[in-house]
Amino acid sequence: MDPTPPTAREGLRHRPRQWQADMFRTVVEVSPNAMVMADAQGRIEFANARTEQMFGYGREELVGEPVEILVPERFRAAHPRYLRGYFEAPEQRAMGAGRDLYGRRRDGTEFPVEIGLNPLENGGERFVLSVIIDITARKEIESRLQASAAELARSNADLEQFAYAASHDLKEPLRMITGYLDMLTVEHGEALGPQAHDCVRHAVEGAARMRALIEGLLAYSRAGTRAPELGLVELELVLAEVRDNLASALAESEGELDADELPVVRADRTQMLQLFQNLVSNALKFRTAQPARVRIRASADGPFWRFEVADNGIGIEEPFRERVFGMFQRLHGGNRYPGSGIGLALCRRIVERHGGKIHAESSPEGGTRIVFLLPR
Amino acid sequence: MPPSSAPSHSILIVEDNPGDIGLLRAAFQKIDPTIELVFAGDGIEALALLRRDHRPDLVLLDLNLPRMDGRELLALIKKDPLLRPIPVLVLTSSAAESDVRNVYDLQANGYLVKPDEYSGYLELARQTRQYWFSTIRLPTHSH
Repeated sequence: MDPTPPTAREGLRHRPRQWQADMFRTVVEVSPNAMVMADAQGRIEFANARTEQMFGYGREELVGEPVEILVPERFRAAHPRYLRGYFEAPEQRAMGAGRDLYGRRRDGTEFPVEIGLNPLENGGERFVLSVIIDITARKEIESRLQASAAELARSNADLEQFAYAASHDLKEPLRMITGYLDMLTVEHGEALGPQAHDCVRHAVEGAARMRALIEGLLAYSRAGTRAPELGLVELELVLAEVRDNLASALAESEGELDADELPVVRADRTQMLQLFQNLVSNALKFRTAQPARVRIRASADGPFWRFEVADNGIGIEEPFRERVFGMFQRLHGGNRYPGSGIGLALCRRIVERHGGKIHAESSPEGGTRIVFLLPR
Repeated sequence: MPPSSAPSHSILIVEDNPGDIGLLRAAFQKIDPTIELVFAGDGIEALALLRRDHRPDLVLLDLNLPRMDGRELLALIKKDPLLRPIPVLVLTSSAAESDVRNVYDLQANGYLVKPDEYSGYLELARQTRQYWFSTIRLPTHSH
């Protein structure tokens, strides 16, 4: 009996040498990884029990054989060169960084492996210990993940394509509705009573909302399916066009649009117009009783241009600031603030497709400030 | 028949959608009832009319048509020395830049996007008549 009980720090050192040796052998034997020790000539000195199971050889068949016995034929010729290379700079490292490695079983079948290499030295002799992990299961999961990612991408693309085709085809019958409603008013207006006029007006308004919805869906799916057509875009000119397009909304809201000098960016011009027009139009639409004030700021921010579109409108409450960028998300009823709930979703998609980011915060004037980055 | 009742001008409208046909017919009727409108439902029918010696003063051409679409018909008209002088205006619901480019490459004389409202068709009829039958000088030919 050992008179002094072992401390944790001493570990196995109080055990007899033979006991320690047996224990280390057992540890090596029960290891879930195959372990193969070879000398500098690549001859197998030792292989553990897991190696037998993994490769289908009895240990006695392996010892003394070249390690290439475990390597698929097509890689065997190159292997001794790698081995010599290893002994020139022995270090603990993974084998074949970046390459797919395979083991070869006794029956000729192959399986994917990962191999860790460890240099050993004993009594002046040099060895390499290979720890081999069978990664068949992991590879299967990886390829299944890749397959489902590819499937997901494909079905997303299909959905985009569908949305595009559907909204495009919806425009045709809608044109008939608006065209003939207008003809009814223009050609037969006098024959219609006030109630009939009311009916027509509601139908016309419904059709107009539907057109806005379809246009929004088309723009959204187009921004998703097609890569942006990048060119140099003078945002000053884009903003001038936005002013033109929104002239009546600006007048109606007694709005004021004040902007920094805007830079030239590498972007898709149509999408830049959609982006700025949607943001300015929102700023005018979601106003309080006060006249709308819209300020556009632009500044360099590292590799990005940082843009801010701030207003003095009704603002977006904190819990909804992320949600407003979702598709069809609206925070207000259609009477006061009509809309399709597509605008900001489209803005986010456009900014992200250009490699930027967009978010909403509260503006110093009490309204909303939309901040977005575009690459410089 | 007194000479005054002879049609002043003739337009061949190549269009397969009855709704569009109704809007165009109503608009041109209202703007100028003396203009003769001839309708063809697809490219093959239109080509047959043109080759059977029907010489309209103007062709209004939809792009998406059954059997032979507007692009094919346009290409054939502009390759035919007899038909080439007839102005062809493409009238389509597509506002796609690629369509506009493509159609001018095929020698179309104009590109119009179908209006959403009847008022737009009236304006289209008015301007078409004014520009193509009055403002512009084209080579003369006999009907």
